[in-house]
Amino acid sequence: MNRTATAFGIGLREHARNYVLVALLVILPVSFITLAFAVTQDVQMPVRTLVDGETTTVMRGMPEVHGVIMTPITSSFIAGLAGLFLMREARDTDGRLAVVGYRAREVIAARFGVLAVITLVVVGVSVGVMLVDFQPEQLWWFVAAMVILSVTYGLIGMLVGAVFNRLAGLWIMLILPMIDIGLFQDPLFVQSEPEWWMKLFPGYHPVRVMVDTGLTTDLDTAMSLGWGFGYLLVVGLLAIWVYYRGTRAT
Amino acid sequence: MNRFAVGIRSNVRTFLRTPLNVVLALVLPLVVIEGWGQAMAGLPPMPTIEAIPLDLGRVLGAIFGVAIIAGLMGLVQMISAREADRRLVQTGYSPRTLLATRLATLAGVTIVVAGVNFGVLWLTVEPEAPLLVFAFLALAGVVYAFLGALVGAVLPRLFEGSLVVVFLAMMDAFLSGDSPLAADVPDFVQYFPLYHPKELLQSAVFDGTFAAGDLAFVGGYVLVLLVLVTAVFGATMRTSGGWSA
Repeated sequence: MNRTATAFGIGLREHARNYVLVALLVILPVSFITLAFAVTQDVQMPVRTLVDGETTTVMRGMPEVHGVIMTPITSSFIAGLAGLFLMREARDTDGRLAVVGYRAREVIAARFGVLAVITLVVVGVSVGVMLVDFQPEQLWWFVAAMVILSVTYGLIGMLVGAVFNRLAGLWIMLILPMIDIGLFQDPLFVQSEPEWWMKLFPGYHPVRVMVDTGLTTDLDTAMSLGWGFGYLLVVGLLAIWVYYRGTRAT
Repeated sequence: MNRFAVGIRSNVRTFLRTPLNVVLALVLPLVVIEGWGQAMAGLPPMPTIEAIPLDLGRVLGAIFGVAIIAGLMGLVQMISAREADRRLVQTGYSPRTLLATRLATLAGVTIVVAGVNFGVLWLTVEPEAPLLVFAFLALAGVVYAFLGALVGAVLPRLFEGSLVVVFLAMMDAFLSGDSPLAADVPDFVQYFPLYHPKELLQSAVFDGTFAAGDLAFVGGYVLVLLVLVTAVFGATMRTSGGWSA
C-alpha cells in the first residue's frame, strides 16, 4: 500500500472510531431536514426559475421549495465544519508526517480524500432523508449540484481553517452558508433578479441547478452546473496551494 | 487581587489578544441583521402567509446573531481551556472559582456583543423601549453562551460540539423565530432556548412592554443551565485518584 493510501486509511479510521461524531453526522441531518418538512406550510408559492431557457415564475408547494434549500444547507454546514477542523488538525500533525518523509502532495491527497468521504456520506444521508418527503424531478442532476456545493463548502472550510483561528473560523463557517444558501439564494426570499454581489457567493450556481432540477422536468441550467464546477476548481486550487505552503512550512 | 479577578482578567486578555475575533464580533451582527431583514422582507404575501416587515426581520436577525456568536464563544472557551483548567485545579484552584471566571467573562463579552447588535437595531428600527431591548438581547446571548459552555463541558471536541450548537441554533431560529414558512409548530418549541427571549424582544421593540411570565421562564432557563454546567464541569475537573481525570 502506498503512503497516501496509508495516511488516508488512518485518517478515515480516526474519524470512524469517533462514534459520537458518526452518530451526529447521521442524527443531525435526519432531525433537521425531517423537522423542516414537518412544520413547513403546505401552500403554493411563486418560484423564479428557468423553463425552456427562459426565466419564468412557476407555482410550487412550499415544502418542496424549502426542501430544495434545507437539504444542501445541511450538507454544506457539515462539510464546511469538517473542512475547517481537518485543516486545524492538520496543522498539528502534517508537519510531523513531512518530517518523517511524506511528500506534501501525499499528505494533501490523503486529507482531501478524508474530506471527500465525509462530504459524500453527509450528502448521502441528507438526500436519503429528503427523499422520504420530496423527490426531485431530476434526482441525479440535483445530487450532482449538491455534491459540487458541499465539496466547495468543505474546501472553503479548509481555507478558512488555514487563515483564521478556531472561533473566527466557526463564526464564518456558520454565517457564510446561512446567508448564502439560506437567505440570498433562497427562491422564496429573492423573487426578482439577484443583485450582482449575490452571484459571487459559492451557492449561486449550484442552488440555481437544484431549484431547476428539483422543481421542473427539464435541465435548463447545465451552464450553471459548469460554472459551479469551475468555482469548485478555483477554491480547490486555492486550498491545495494554502495547504501545500502550510505543510512545507511546518 | 483574588483568584476570581485574576481569572477574569486573563480570560478577557486572551479574547482581546486576537483582534480578528473582536472585529468579527463587531462586524458579523451587522451582516446578520441586515441580511436577515432584507431577505425576510422579500417574501411575497400569500393567503396564509403574512408578509414579514423589514423591521421584524431585523429583530429576528439580531436575536439569532447574538445567540450564535455567544453560543460558539461559550463552546470554544470551555473546550480550548480544558487542559489548562485541569492543571489549575491540580494546583489548588477550586473548580467553581474557575468556572465562575469563565462564565463571568462569557457573560461580559456577550453583553458587549449584545450592545453591538442593539446599536445596529437602534440605528435601523428605533425600538419603543431601548433599555429593555438591550437587556433582552443580552439575556438571549447569555442563554446561548451558557448553553455553548454546557455543550463544551459535555462534548470536549470542537467539531462535535460545534455541530450540536450550530444545528440547535438553526432549528431554534426556524421554529422560535416566527418563521412565515412554518405551520403546525410543535408545542415543545416553547422550551427552545430562544423562544421566550424572542417574545420578550419583540414586545420590547414594537410595544415597549414585556410579559413577566416570559422573563421568569428565561431566568429559570439560565439557572438550570448554570446548575447543569456546574455539575458537568465539576465532574470533568475531578482530580482525586490519579494524575488525570
